[in-house]
Amino acid sequence: MQPQDLQRALAPKLGERLLGVEPFAGTAGRVRFERTAALETFRAMRDDLGFAHCAMVGGIDWVETREVLYVLWSDGARQYALLSTTVPANDAHVETASGVWPSANWHEREAWEMVDITFDHHPDLRHLLMPDGYAFHPLLRSFKLHEPEELEVKVRHV
Amino acid sequence: MGRLSATVLPPPKPAPAETAATGMAGAALPVVHEPAVPFVEIEAVRAKEFVPAAKEALTALLAEQGQQKLIRPVFNWAGRNSLFPLHWGLACCAIEFAAAFGARWDAERFGVVPRSSPRQCDLMIVNGTVTWKVAHKLVTLYEQMPEPKWVIAMGNCATGGGPFRTAYSVVPGVDKLVPVDVYIAGCPPRPEAMLDGILQLEKLIHERKE
Repeated sequence: MQPQDLQRALAPKLGERLLGVEPFAGTAGRVRFERTAALETFRAMRDDLGFAHCAMVGGIDWVETREVLYVLWSDGARQYALLSTTVPANDAHVETASGVWPSANWHEREAWEMVDITFDHHPDLRHLLMPDGYAFHPLLRSFKLHEPEELEVKVRHV
Repeated sequence: MGRLSATVLPPPKPAPAETAATGMAGAALPVVHEPAVPFVEIEAVRAKEFVPAAKEALTALLAEQGQQKLIRPVFNWAGRNSLFPLHWGLACCAIEFAAAFGARWDAERFGVVPRSSPRQCDLMIVNGTVTWKVAHKLVTLYEQMPEPKWVIAMGNCATGGGPFRTAYSVVPGVDKLVPVDVYIAGCPPRPEAMLDGILQLEKLIHERKE
């Protein structure tokens, strides 16, 4: 499967909200889409293109914006595909993919607690790797390393 | 009636400082052997004579020494020779912990037997990095252990956070959560070091007054 195959399948459904499909080494391509088209993109990728498995959801902090990255796998094509959408940092939320791929559930919890991207309509958006009530999103670039004692006081009293 | 007598001997005086043979010329290290429990000598021929004699002797001893002073060393002796650590592992130190109970180091010769339930344990060996996520589970396990109980912080992570000291998710030393009796340095400590830490703890328990 080539990037133009993805483009051909997705363009009629997404229209303007498909920002582009670029080649990406080792994958069928990297699809960039507007976050308003998230659910349509997920469904098209799963139902029309056969990417039945969501291998990873991750977040990247680009300071002013944040990028949500999805890695999909197709058993039929034996290929990966990347999905990517960019959200502003002061309004970082996107529709959840856990309704389409249940395996995205925990990945989205991790992306939320690490880089503070809210996933709308997520069934169970709570801490995964950190204790409940942890006050930080530690993989943000604005997170400074604390002195251990200072962090301890903050963690203990949340 | 036969011979029936019980003699309570006073605890022997500390022996005069013996001269330990050392390699250094003229260097003499004083060695003092002081028994923790006074000797009791009971003369009896038959078992049914022995029982009342022993009872009489122990009653006299208790009256003379006081219960606490007599029984405490016995409890300490029993406790330090049957330390049951909690059988759990947090990180790579757990591999060394496991090796210490294998054939080569055989920690069981010190009476150290890992148990799977905190209710049966009196020693918690924190072997690995403690994260904030696992912190309250660690405290729960500690609270489930019956008194008296001891904690060994094994390795640099449990002692002070180790290389992850400034990390966002790591407790900088398990003594922030539970009282620690013995710290073992190393990353990870070898099984010999862990056994040495257990022997240090046994020394602590030996000297325990309350």
